[in-house]
Amino acid sequence: MSLALPAGPASRRRASASYRWMVAPALIFAAGMIVLPFLWAMWLSLHETMLGGEPRFAGLDNYRRLVADREFWNGFRLTMLLWLLSLALQLVAGTWLGLLLARLDAARGLIRTALISPFMLPPVVIGMMAIVILDPGLGVANWLLAQLGLGGLLFLADPETVILTVALIDTWQWTPFVALIVLGGYLSLPRDVFEAAEIDGAGSFQRLTRITLPLLAPTLVTAAVLRSVDLLRFFDVIYITTQGGPGNASTTLNILAYRRGFEFFEFGYAAALMVTLSAIVFGCVLAFSRLRRAVAW
Amino acid sequence: MVAGQGRVGRWLDAAQLAVIVVVLVAPVAWMVLSAFKPRNEVAALPPRLIFAPTLENFVELFRRTDFLENTLNSLIVSGGSTLLGLVLAFPAAFAMSWHRMSWPATATLFARMAPGTLFLLPWLMMFTSVGLVGSHLALILTHAVITLPVAIWVLLPYFDGLPREVIESAEIDGCRQHQTLLRVALPMVAPGVVVAAILSFVFSWNYFLFALVLSGFSTKTAIVASFNFIGEGVTNWGALMAAATVIALPPLILTLIIQRRLVGGLAAGAVKG
Repeated sequence: MSLALPAGPASRRRASASYRWMVAPALIFAAGMIVLPFLWAMWLSLHETMLGGEPRFAGLDNYRRLVADREFWNGFRLTMLLWLLSLALQLVAGTWLGLLLARLDAARGLIRTALISPFMLPPVVIGMMAIVILDPGLGVANWLLAQLGLGGLLFLADPETVILTVALIDTWQWTPFVALIVLGGYLSLPRDVFEAAEIDGAGSFQRLTRITLPLLAPTLVTAAVLRSVDLLRFFDVIYITTQGGPGNASTTLNILAYRRGFEFFEFGYAAALMVTLSAIVFGCVLAFSRLRRAVAW
Repeated sequence: MVAGQGRVGRWLDAAQLAVIVVVLVAPVAWMVLSAFKPRNEVAALPPRLIFAPTLENFVELFRRTDFLENTLNSLIVSGGSTLLGLVLAFPAAFAMSWHRMSWPATATLFARMAPGTLFLLPWLMMFTSVGLVGSHLALILTHAVITLPVAIWVLLPYFDGLPREVIESAEIDGCRQHQTLLRVALPMVAPGVVVAAILSFVFSWNYFLFALVLSGFSTKTAIVASFNFIGEGVTNWGALMAAATVIALPPLILTLIIQRRLVGGLAAGAVKG
């Protein structure tokens, strides 16, 4: 209709034209590549699948099996351990580094490059560096420990230290990311609060615990959400360096799901594992969004 | 703020920062140095920091393996998925910003939260049934699942900053909608498009899981090929570090170009895992 209108005042109506249709191509793509596969995976998790055979409806059998599966609980324990350990390390180190950068006004030039590089590197490069540097016999890490008079470690090859080693690798990679988020949050805080506290005679430690950290809490929760989503479904660096080993010592839930799906082709059971892991991630994000409301100011 | 008072505090701060920078840079420097070390010195301890640099590791890498082809595959997949992601995201982000639609952005966040393995299972079945497993197209389509949300989240604030009068006056002048978008909006948000393209390319280039399962022998990406080098128990660390250096270069160089605008975009749309 509007096309038939003559140019002039009437065509002003087109100023309220709708551009909503421009979302359609992205939505169609997302429907085919994200929504449909998601529903398919849910459907698969309710079926027993055999290689070459037709999937058979099995109700919640896969989930019952999962609850009774010791490997699942091993994976759950390792996932939680890796998540909490890495998150704690990165939030503490990231806050420290972020405030340090703020004091020195140093997040520029070459220092900024050094900060950004670790988390922009491909995980496979991180894994390759870890393998060469942390090699128990020929790696430079054990040589450095020996120079300090300390005994050598097996790092990724020892079931006792593999999760801690992965957590430290991830902390090396992502602490600068947390620090830059903290820095951004800190720079947006109102200056006068700090000045007032100083005039009132608050010591530097008091200012940190009573003012800076509470004001930064929403920023820290945001950083925690971003890191948690990655940590709970941690896959690449573990699979690249240990494939879940030694034994099952680093078989987190995502590694377990991958192996069941793509090494043993148990599609139904693997799908149940993946859906469960997704629920854990969503649950964590929801919990954090509640927390964010609680610490908002 | 614990330290930071007076001159001593400042020196203490600077010393801490120096230690951190060394810790962050040292492993990367070690990788690059190892790539240029002669074969018999790569694993030498104590480490030799002064040596005659050589290209023999790179020569061996490209002569003995298909790493050149792998790198080309990575370029095709990352370039293709970046382009596809931008073509889909550009009009979508414009419409979302213009009409203040927030639900599609939220929906892409949900897609970012699910583990990649969850999508990979149905994808493998889908692509197997249409014979696309091992094709560049399958890799481009799956990597676009990574690039699309990144591009949308990076572009949204740029479109939000676009004055509404500019678009409205283009309409009054009789521009068709797609012309408004391409001739009026595009030049004004071009910096955002550059950032979105670079971030998309880097995320796609770095991504490991999808190509691990869906690439074929002739479409293997440099990332997956490097992983296979590890699996083959390559004892030649020089060549291994040469491969690592080659695949680390594009992300490092591209990141350098946009580092100032990077952090906000990352916080909004980083995709990994």
